[in-house]
Parts: sequence; C-alpha cells; structure tokens
Amino acid sequence: MREELLEQAKLAVELGLKAGADEVVAGVNWGRSLSYEWRDGRLETVQESISRQLGLAVYVDGRFSTCSTNDLDPARLKRFAEDTVELTRCLEVDPHRHITPPKLYEGRSTADLDLVDATMGDLTREQRIEWCKEMDDVARAVTGIVAAENEVSDSHSVSARASSNGFAGTSEGTSAHMYTKASALDGEKRPESYYYMAAIHMRDLGTAREIAEEATRRTLARVGAGPVASARTTMILDPEIGGRFLGRIFGALSAGAVQQKRSFLVDSLNQPIASELLTLTDEPLLVGGGGSQHYDGEGIASRRRPVIEQGVLRTFFVDTYYGSKLGWEPTTAGSSNTVFEHGERDLAAILAGCEDGIYVTSWLGGNADMTTGDFSFGLTGHLVKGGELVAPISEMNVTGNYKEILKGLVEVGNDPIPWSSFRAPTLVFEKVQFGGL
Amino acid sequence: MTTQFTGTAQADPLHYGFFGVDDTILSAVLSEAMSKGADYADLYFQQSRGSSLSLEDGIVSRASSSVDRGVGVRVVVGDQTGYAYSEDLDLDAMRQAARTAASIASGGGGVPPQAFKRGKQHDLYSISEPWGEVNVKRKVPFLQEVDRVARSLESAISKVSVGLRDADSRVLVANSCGEVYADERPMGVLSVSVTAEKKGEIQTGFQSLAGRFGIEHYTPERIKQLAQDAVTRCMVLYDARRPPAGEMPVVLAAGASGILLHEAIGHGMEADCNRKGLSVFSTMMNKKVAEDCVTIVDSALHPHERGAINFDDEGSASERTTLVEGGVLRSYLHDRLSAKHYGLDQSTGSGRRQSFRYPPLPRMRCTYMENGPHSRDEIIESIDHGILCETFLNGQVAIGAGDYTFYVKNGWLIEDGKITAPIKDVNIIGNGPESLSRITMVANDMKIDTGGWTCGKGGQSVPVSQGMPTTLVSKMTVGGENA
Repeated sequence: MREELLEQAKLAVELGLKAGADEVVAGVNWGRSLSYEWRDGRLETVQESISRQLGLAVYVDGRFSTCSTNDLDPARLKRFAEDTVELTRCLEVDPHRHITPPKLYEGRSTADLDLVDATMGDLTREQRIEWCKEMDDVARAVTGIVAAENEVSDSHSVSARASSNGFAGTSEGTSAHMYTKASALDGEKRPESYYYMAAIHMRDLGTAREIAEEATRRTLARVGAGPVASARTTMILDPEIGGRFLGRIFGALSAGAVQQKRSFLVDSLNQPIASELLTLTDEPLLVGGGGSQHYDGEGIASRRRPVIEQGVLRTFFVDTYYGSKLGWEPTTAGSSNTVFEHGERDLAAILAGCEDGIYVTSWLGGNADMTTGDFSFGLTGHLVKGGELVAPISEMNVTGNYKEILKGLVEVGNDPIPWSSFRAPTLVFEKVQFGGL
Repeated sequence: MTTQFTGTAQADPLHYGFFGVDDTILSAVLSEAMSKGADYADLYFQQSRGSSLSLEDGIVSRASSSVDRGVGVRVVVGDQTGYAYSEDLDLDAMRQAARTAASIASGGGGVPPQAFKRGKQHDLYSISEPWGEVNVKRKVPFLQEVDRVARSLESAISKVSVGLRDADSRVLVANSCGEVYADERPMGVLSVSVTAEKKGEIQTGFQSLAGRFGIEHYTPERIKQLAQDAVTRCMVLYDARRPPAGEMPVVLAAGASGILLHEAIGHGMEADCNRKGLSVFSTMMNKKVAEDCVTIVDSALHPHERGAINFDDEGSASERTTLVEGGVLRSYLHDRLSAKHYGLDQSTGSGRRQSFRYPPLPRMRCTYMENGPHSRDEIIESIDHGILCETFLNGQVAIGAGDYTFYVKNGWLIEDGKITAPIKDVNIIGNGPESLSRITMVANDMKIDTGGWTCGKGGQSVPVSQGMPTTLVSKMTVGGENA
C-alpha cells in the first residue's frame, strides 16, 4: 500500500509539472475505519469507511495554490492538475512562496517508530461486539446508572508524499479506541461522563470492564454538582485535560501568528515566559508516540527540539513560508509529541496534599485570544479541602491571562496519559480566578 | 475548477446524468441494501466543490480548491443503523458499500422500489451564477476591497487578512419509499481579521458574512459594513476589561445571541438524545419551561441563510418547527428514525449530515426566538448591575446535565440602567432549563445573524444560523475577574 500510494504521488507530481508548474508537491492519503456502537443491550450503529484522497501544491511563476480531490481517475487527474495550474496563474505574485528547500529534507530518521499493529486487521465482528456488550453490561449493572453508550472502533491510515525537488516519503499508523459514556439521574438532570482508552497496538488497550467501570465512577461523581463561591485559589488539572489548556499556547508559537502579530509571545524568544518548572520538548521520534513522525507536513526531517526550558521560550514553529517572511530559518511546521519534564508526584498524591483548591476534570466551552493571552473556560471538577474531594463542581468558569498563569505553575506531576501526543501530567497553578456563585 | 461530469441543472434536474445513475441503478443498489431486511434505506449522492482564496499582507497569494464525491448507503432496522459509503460511483462499488451497510440486519430480503418519484422541496437559495463558474480573477477584487476599506477606516490597523470560501454541493437522495430529491446548495463566506497596534499594544478583530448566496451578495455596502464591524470590534478592545466574576443579570443583544438558544435548548431538543433518555429535556414535553413571552423556533425556511435547506439529508420535507410556544415545550427536532420511535407520521425535516461519509442525525437549522413585548431600552434600564453580550466566538453544552456555555468576545457593562464600559473575553455558563425559566424580558428587535456559524455533533459539522431579539436572562454565571 505504501509503495502504491507513493507511485500515485509521484505520478501526480509529473502531471503538475507537465501542466506547467515550476515545482509540485503531492500527497496521497488512504484510510480505513470501522466503528461499532452498542446501547441498551444491542447494536445501535455499524459504520465502515474506506477513503482515498490526493492533494497537490503547485508553485507557478512565483504564485502558489493547493487543491485536493478524491476522484483518482487518471484522465480526470490530468485535467485536475491542469485546472490547478491555470487557477494558480490567476493569483498575485508573492516573493515568499518557495517550495521547502531540499536541505531541510536531509537527515531523516529511519528508526522504527512502532506505529502499526499488523494484527488490527484480524479483529473480528464477533470480538468487537463482545467488547461492546461487556462494556454495556458492566456499566448498566452499576446502581444509579440509567443509560450507557459504548463504542469500539479502529482505524488504519497510510500516506505518501512526493515533491519535484526530491522528497519521497511514506507513513503508516493504526489506532484502536474503546469508549463508554454513562448517564445517571439527578432530579431532572441526567449528568453524564465518559472514559476511553486509545492505543496504536491492540495489546495496549485496556479491558472492556475497566473502561466501563471508570466511566460509571466518573458519572456517579457528577451527581449533585453545582457551582461553589467565586474564588482565587489553586487549580489542579487532571492529566487528561492539561493538553487542551496548555496546548493553546502553541497557537501563539507558530511563525504565522508571530508574523501576523497575533501572538502574545511575539518578542519572547529566549525570555522567561513560564515558571521554571515548565520544560517542554517536541519529540517527533518518540517510539510509539501518538504524534510521532519521520517528517513534518512540509517534508522537513523531524528532530527533537526544546520548546520551553525551565520556563524560557527556546523556539517557534517556523514553516518555510512564514520563515521567509520573517527572515528566520524554518524549524518545523508544527508540533508532534509534546513531552514534559516530570515532577515527583502523581495526581492522587497531589490531591491528598492540597489544603484548598479546585480539581478540574473537564472543560466546557470557553476560548482564548492568542494576541493578548486572555482566556476564559467553563469547567467541571471537584472542590478540594484538606486533601479530600468535598463537592462536585459544575457551572463555573476559570478566567485569566496566559502570561500570568504560566508563571503561576507550582507543580508538574509524573503521570501523563500514555496514548496522548500532548503528554501533560497533572499540573498545579496558584492563585487562579474562578467564577461561580 | 470544473466538475467531472457534464450536464446542467436544466437538462438534468435530478442529477442522474451528473452522478451517472438511473432508476434501475438506484433500485439495484437499494436492493442490495435491503437484502437482509430493512425498515428503511437511503442513498445519498453528493459532490462538493469548494474553494478558498486568501489575502494577507496586501497580496492575494493563496488559493485552495477541493472536490469530494461519493455515495453513502444507510440501512435502518428499528433503532439500528448500518452505514457505509463509496467514493467510487460504479455499480459494483456501490453494491459493496450497500452490502456492508446491510450487515446491521439479519432478516429476509426487502423489496426495493423499481421507479422513483420526485419528492416535494422548497426553493430557498437559487443563485444566478454557481460559485464553480466564477473565475478566480473575478473574486480577487472583492478581497482587495475589504483590505482597502479596513485600512482606510483606522490608521492603527497594521495587518489585515481576508478570506473568501465558497462551495457548491450537488446532492441526490433516493430512498426505499421510492422518492428522489435533488438539490444544489451554494455557500459563500467572506471573512476578515484585522490587527491594530496602538501605544505598544496589539488587538485583533474579526467579522464574517456568510450564507447560501452567490458572489452578487457581496455589494460595496456590505463589504464596507463587514470591514467596519471588524475594525470596531478590534478598536473597542483598547478600552475593554474583564467584568467581575460571578452571578449577575445578562442581557443578550439582538442577533448572534441566538447562540444561547442553540446551546441552552436546541441540542437538548434534538430527538436522538431524548429517544435515548439522555437529555435534561427528556421528561419536559408539553410542560411550561419559560415565561409566556418565550417562543423558540428552529426553521429551515429562511431564504439564503446558512441553515436553510430545501429538504433534509434523508429526503424529508423541510419545515419550521416550534420548540417552545408561549413558554411551553412543544416539539423535538426529529429525523426519520426518531419520528418512528415516537410514533409520529413524519419527521420535522431535521435529518442532516456533514457529507456522504456520515449517516444523518437530528440537527438544528436556523434557531431563533420570536419577538417579545419589551423594548431594548426598557431591558437595559431595568438592570442595576449586569452585562450586555454583543459578539460571540463559540458555545458548548452537556445535554444530560443541561449545563451550557458561550464565549463572549465583546460586550458592555450595564450600571444603573446605563451601558457604561466595554468588556471582553469572558465565558458565560448556565443550565439550560434554569436559564429558560430566567428569561424575564424579550424585546421586539429580532435579528438573524449572518456570521458563519457551524455546529458540531457526533464528529459531524453542519452550517447553521441563529437569531435573537434583545433578551434578559435574570441570572447567569460570568467568568470575570476580581471576585
């Protein structure tokens, strides 16, 4: 499959050149996914998909455009390439549009990143149904649970990329996913929560029973939730949700945001932007990592790169185009796996040691302005007093500015979720503004 | 970009030629879909053509275009659904997808229709020139004009980026009831972001103008308004601050505040989650949930709005559905599956899907509140201490507990019955049924917002619209500072 897609990508590069492009990059993606949803003792939905898509980027007389299609008929592809080149000629010349220089392709790792489980294709309908049924049975047997939705899904994707200036590469990955969402009754309210596990290899997926049990435990913990008094207090973020909070700052670390002046970190290279406890590294070559890759979206060879070292910003994500606009050397177009330097304790120990604070377990809505760093998010979680969870919380917001809160990071845990690409452990911030009653 | 097949809407009203099918082929594929028994089956043929053009640093230097086509096959047995799609429209590939979808069933064969009759549909968004026929060269000046106007309005503006996204989607739905529906669905979105630099401080503003219309909609007056809105939203931030945190009265300005309805009640009224007993509204039908002045509607019939549909994505007539009438909960939003579950004769035409890759789900279209008896001034004057919310970025809801949020980008403090200082960037959170019961005043200035709203559910995005008259919710939790 990898070779077949690469041949197709190379052919598309040829078609683009023949149509008159100066440089061409082509990518072909193939994906298969299958999902089973089970509810109330029976199969609710089965969905299967297989898709293939081709994308072209063409450089014509200092002009640039991209296009994609899922119609791979050879005659129509030729026409498609010609149309793309013709369309590109209608644009304005931009002196910063260049294909990624070949020297950035060099030094690509050939290490086995362990991203494929070849046995996943052997998974049977009967096995998937058995897992679904077990999750459903376990969840609905728990007192207080009134409904459960369960899902088993898996996918396999292959992609290839070729360019007119010498790039050729392929990548492949599998993933499997098991999920239970459970609902409880709380007056008229039907609070719900879920738990899922994902893995590249089937062997790393948890059991149906543990997934369903954790989902129901979380759901029952939501019963009786409501807002508590507004306060400025300690915020403890569960490892599952740290990524959505801290990952936002990556939006301010792209060269595009910097060049367009939509980044609160615009002048911060080599400046302290966070507490000394924060050390983040972009680790694309992590074996078995959710975001692992040999090359990035532009074909730039992947390498390990410190992003923040002891609170000091060390790099931006610089692609070829915005690098040219800023006069900076390209680094990489985006992050892969984000790895934290760990602290000493896990979530349980951190909660047990917390006298007074709010433990956040999920976000509800909210947004942030990356130009100023202002953020405001809705949340659910628990009030913590004397090391105990004393009340479930809902209908509250946390509001602040990333410039300040990053400096208020007082502890980093040692317990990231293994399958995530943004591998945040438990994170603790001080003097955070919560809005409630 | 040209399409792959020839054939125009006039010569090929059902798109049979465009998709290379006829009644015999449709019947053959449905026959395969129904081979293990089915209460219902449908085929959803679609070809989407989209393009986008962007201006940055004064240059229109990036275009992208896409073509995506295929057919989705769905088999329904009771509450159970089998779904598969094919990107290849030859008969063998379609039959293979139909066999996969049929695996949900285990009974005997059903009988497919042999001939198909066109179902009833509206005509809500005809445009004179499909986007696919508008040359890029003709689009470029629209982006340049937005850039020029934005810069001319305010000298502190240092960066302007403008995007024009357009799409045409051709759809053919054929179902086991022997009905076919065909549609062409245009969409245009012109958006602008501006960045200002003043006294060492940087702020940004955004606005978009979106709908099922063609390029003719972007008149010089509308372009000027678009640029003006973005600049105003940006420059007001120089004086804006966070409101205090905590519970307070919240006034929702006419227009985009319809996001409150979308999150507080709309999702909870989609019948799939009620059928499963998962919504906070599951036990409230025909009960009084709000004051008499509250009537909430979800309608597909507003011409050229993003949420307009001539028929829904499973071939049902689209309609105007009253969710809440005079404060009483009246109807869920149904697709065929939930309508059958609830014993209704027909759905509310709310079955929608992102593309041929997905089965339809009950979804909102254009959600809004009808005008009430009050005036905007009366509402503002009634507040001692609260906020007025004007522009929004996004919202979310947990349908079981009913908790929902929306993010306010711009707004104002209200003190002693007067609008005073601007506020910015706060999330607001409430509980759906509680908030409905706390709507105490509704003004007579209802407006549908023309921003490019998109609703996500179950991994599928669909375009929606929302509207609102100026409305007072007597108490909500505001995510401010300095509590």
